[in-house]
Order: sequence, then structure tokens, then C-alpha cells
Amino acid sequence: MKDTTPPPAIITLDDVHKYYGDYHALRGISAEIRQGEFFSLLGPSGCGKTTLLRAIAGFEDISSGHIQLNGRNMEGVPPNKRPTNMVFQSYAIFPHLSVAQNVAFGLRRTSMSGDEKKRAVAEALEMVGLKDYGRRAAHALSGGQRQRVALARALILKPKVLLLDEPLSALDKKMREQMQVELIKLQREVGITFILVTHDQEEALVMSDRIAVMFEGEIAQLDDPELLYRRPNSRRVAEFIGMMNFLPADVISVSDGRAEVEVAGLGRAELDAAQCPGGAIVGAARIGLRPESLTILFEGQSPEGGRSAEGVVEEVVYYGDMTYYDVLIDGAPNKVSVSMRNMPGRRVLERGAPAHLAWDPRAMVLFS
Amino acid sequence: MRGGGLKVYAILYLAFLYAPIVLLPLFAFNDGTVIAFPLQGFTLEWFAALLDTPALHEATLNSLIIAVSVAILATSLGLFAARAATRYKFPGKPGILGFIMLPLVLPEVIVAISLLAVLMQLGLDSGLWTIILGHSLLCMPFSIAILQGSFANMDQSLEEAAIDLGETPLSTFRLVTFPLVLPGIIASLLICFTISLDEFIIAFFLSGNEPTLPVYLWGQLRFPARLPVVMALGTILVTLSVLLLVVAEFFRRRGLKRAGLEDTGGFL
Repeated sequence: MKDTTPPPAIITLDDVHKYYGDYHALRGISAEIRQGEFFSLLGPSGCGKTTLLRAIAGFEDISSGHIQLNGRNMEGVPPNKRPTNMVFQSYAIFPHLSVAQNVAFGLRRTSMSGDEKKRAVAEALEMVGLKDYGRRAAHALSGGQRQRVALARALILKPKVLLLDEPLSALDKKMREQMQVELIKLQREVGITFILVTHDQEEALVMSDRIAVMFEGEIAQLDDPELLYRRPNSRRVAEFIGMMNFLPADVISVSDGRAEVEVAGLGRAELDAAQCPGGAIVGAARIGLRPESLTILFEGQSPEGGRSAEGVVEEVVYYGDMTYYDVLIDGAPNKVSVSMRNMPGRRVLERGAPAHLAWDPRAMVLFS
Repeated sequence: MRGGGLKVYAILYLAFLYAPIVLLPLFAFNDGTVIAFPLQGFTLEWFAALLDTPALHEATLNSLIIAVSVAILATSLGLFAARAATRYKFPGKPGILGFIMLPLVLPEVIVAISLLAVLMQLGLDSGLWTIILGHSLLCMPFSIAILQGSFANMDQSLEEAAIDLGETPLSTFRLVTFPLVLPGIIASLLICFTISLDEFIIAFFLSGNEPTLPVYLWGQLRFPARLPVVMALGTILVTLSVLLLVVAEFFRRRGLKRAGLEDTGGFL
């Protein structure tokens, strides 16, 4: 069973603001990043995630607020005196040094002896799977190898926090997926807090213990991946993380946080408080429903609980393992996307075919 | 043959460019005081004459002092300007850079006269240091152009990475920035040295009674009998200049190769 008390905070952000001239890049960021967690800052470009990361590293001065790192206020502490290390987007491998010299760079100012340094470098290289690469010239490495050298170089100093600025964005898809898994393993192995900046929601979901979704310099939602996916607290977060169908709905009554809604095309549903992360008020609203929470019923199948709707298939997109259908439900003003796993004996519906849909009200999220 | 016309044009063009320079060594080794064909025979007399001309030695020494000082001064200043130009945004940046690069296109004689006028207004004597200042003005654009390329080729996060790994800004410059722009610095030093060594107009206006090599050469042209000696000296200067330029280009290319970068053009 999981330990329920969260570990103590390693970084505390308290009402952090950053202005570039008139431009308000960070608008009151407050959050706690816990010891040993894999934390992601997720958002579209220009949302301030990189600025926040660089502020934690000390490369950007903040305009107001406090950043506390390992119990110490970081105001006026330069990057070279902070217990953080960074993996840069471009990896920033020193091209005039060998792989081993790159990895050993941060040890220059430690009191280690030459032999200790050699051992530390060998260990760090082995950890990232570049055991015999020490003597290679750094500029002759591939993208994935540079990435590993950058990781070894940053981790050799055993920082309290490792900062990763879009570290996988320059890699191709296969390599990226492989590195995601390796990064997770590495983080578990070293137990250091990782803060990852990414614009890739899938990457954030796969890798993180918790994710802060940022828009326009503010944290819109901070939750673990599952909650973020299942219970986004705003339409914007819902649209940014994965795919979400929206249908107009009427909130008929609210009591004890539970809401009774009438959804266009789907009918009545009762939602509990967790399904209304933004609160519920009687009147017009919207219901969000993920494509996998809608099911197309084939011959002989009947909906659990008897909730079903009729519609017409308007578009079919075949992905091999999955098929995505755009279905217009009778009585709904807009199409919804339905994802179905392709199985032996289950045929793919064609455009224009009638669709018999089942849906699960527990998967619904209410947005005002 | 296709492209025959273009080939002829290219050959004529190169002949026009370099034939006069080829004449230089030809007459430098020619055993005759008149600069005319046919050649009289081979001699090293004119080169020997260079050796026992004290005024020439003085001019050479002046030129070397000036060229070395200019190379160092212009490159140091260029280093600051190039780094600022590639790393920072500041108000009026394009204008300021434009003004620094202006001597590239300004008529040299205008620059020379203006400098002389300023010196006279200030009541200062001209001398080696005035030529050093004038040449530095002239060399700065070249130095900045070369070094800007070096800085632009260098990923900015390299410096941040060094600081992130515990180094101070100063040690970062020594350990990362300097080694990576060093080929550019060497190329800049050599090119500034070459420009200063060959420069005539500013040196002519500002030299006072301390002539540089080109100024001394110009003075010798008044004596027809000295012409072959001038040719000999010219031969040495041309050889030296070409050599320096080749070395400069070699360092620039090696720097690119070391950093694993594409060659995007240079002086050679």
C-alpha cells in the first residue's frame, strides 16, 4: 500500500511573479514540489514553464515572491551556488571536451581526489548506459548519446533537484519513448527530485508523479496524472490533456455538491462532487466526456445500466489498434469522438452507418 | 565547348588581378635598375640592399610595433563588442553596431584627415600611438565580424551549463567561452595584424616623423634608382600577408571542425 503522507517539500514557490518589462511572464505561482518526486511543468509554448524552471535554477531573477529550495530562500543566490543542476534543451555538451571531461566538469570545484573523480565519472557514465564512451569526442555523439552525457554530467554532482528543460524534444519518436522509460527508471534509482518542462501532454502523463498545467503564467491545475486526465478542472485543461468531447448540458439541481444534469443527446445523469471540479451552479453548462468513455454497441451487446443513445457515424479514422469514430448523436448539436479498440471479430463501422452508443455517467466531468 | 567564354573571362579576370603582383617578384630578382622587359638576369642584390638600410629597419620596427598593438587592441575591443552583440539585447543596438562597422565603407582618406584634424585641435603630437588608434578604428569591424561569427556559432546554454555546474562567470569564460572562440580570436589577431601592416593612408597622415613600412616605401618611389629595392620589399610584404591570411583561415576552419559546425564562409 502507498504511504499516504506526502514527503516533505524540497521546493516551495510562494507567489512568484516575473515581469519582462511590461510582459507579465509569471503571475503568482505558488506550489510545493516534494522530495523525490517526478514533477512536470506542462503547458503550451509561452506559458512561462521554462521561465519558472530557469527561475528555480537561478538564471532568471524573479520580480516578487519567494523560491525556497531545501529550506533556504534562494533570493540572490546565483545558479552556481544552488543545489540544482540542469539538463538543457540543446544538451549544452562542451564540444571542445571529451565525454569524460564533460561529465567531470562539475567536479572541478569539489575536494575529490583524481582517482575518486575518475571513479565517479565511470559510475555516472555506466548509470546512463555509456560505459566505454569516456574518451570519445563530445561533438561526435548522436542526439540520444548527448542527452545521456548531459544527464550524467548533471547527476554526478548529486543535486537536490534535477531540472530538465524539454530534454526529449530534439529526439525522434522512437528514441523519445525509449528515453522516457529510461528517465523514469533513472529517477527511481537516484531518488533525486526531477522537474521536467514539457509541452507534450503524453510525455508528462507517462513520466510524472504530479503535473502542473500552466497557461499564461499561471498554474491552472496541479494534480497527479490520473486526476488531471479524469477530472480536469477547466475546459482548457481538459482540451490540453488528451482529447475531450463537450456536450451542452443543463444543471437541473444541486445538493451536497451532487448535480443532476440533462445532457443534450444523452439524457439525465447524476454527478458527484468530484465530477464537478469547478463547482456546479444550476443553469447552462457543459459536460466533458473522453472518447474512450463512449462505447459503440455491436449486435447482441446491451449497455450496462441501460444508458444508451442513437447516432450516425460521420467519420472513421483507423489507427490499427484503435478506430476513432466521429458520431453525431440524435439530439446533440455537435459530433463526439468515440474510440474503440479493434478486436478480432469486431468489424469497423463505415461512414453513414447507424451507431448504438453506450456511455458511463461516472466518466463525465461538469464544466461551467 | 560549353562554358568556354566563361572560362576565358575567368582567366582574364584572374590575370588582371594578379599579373601586377607577379611582376613584383619578377623585377625584385631582376639584375637591372630599370623596371622594363627584357629581364637582365637573376640577382639578390636588391634584397641585400634592404639589409643595410637603417631607415628601412626603423620603419619595419615601427610597423611591427603598430601591427602587434593594433591586433591586440582591436581584437580585445572586438571581443567585448561581439559578445555584447550576440548575447544581449539593448536599446539602440543596431545603430551602435552600424556605427562600429562604418569604417569598413568610409573612405579611408576622410577618416585619416578627420583624425589628423582632431589631433591638431587637441594639440597632440602624432606618433606611433596615433597610428595605432587609427588602425584599431579600421580593424575593429573586421575583428567584430570574425568574432561575431564565433560567438553566434556557440550555443548560449554552454556558458549557462558551466555556471550551473558550479563555475563562476569568470572561470566560465576561461574554461568554456575562451577555448571555443579562440580560433576566432587568432584569426582576428592575424587579420588585424595584416591590415595594419599594409595600411598606407592613415599611416601617411598620422605618422609624423616615424614612418611605417608602406610610408617609407612610398617615400622611396621618388628615387628611380631605389625602385628595385622597393620591389624586393614589396615581394616580402605580399608573401607575408598571404601567409598570415592562410594561417588565419586555417585556424578559423579548425575551430569550426572542432565544434562540429558547418562552414558558412570565411575570408578564403
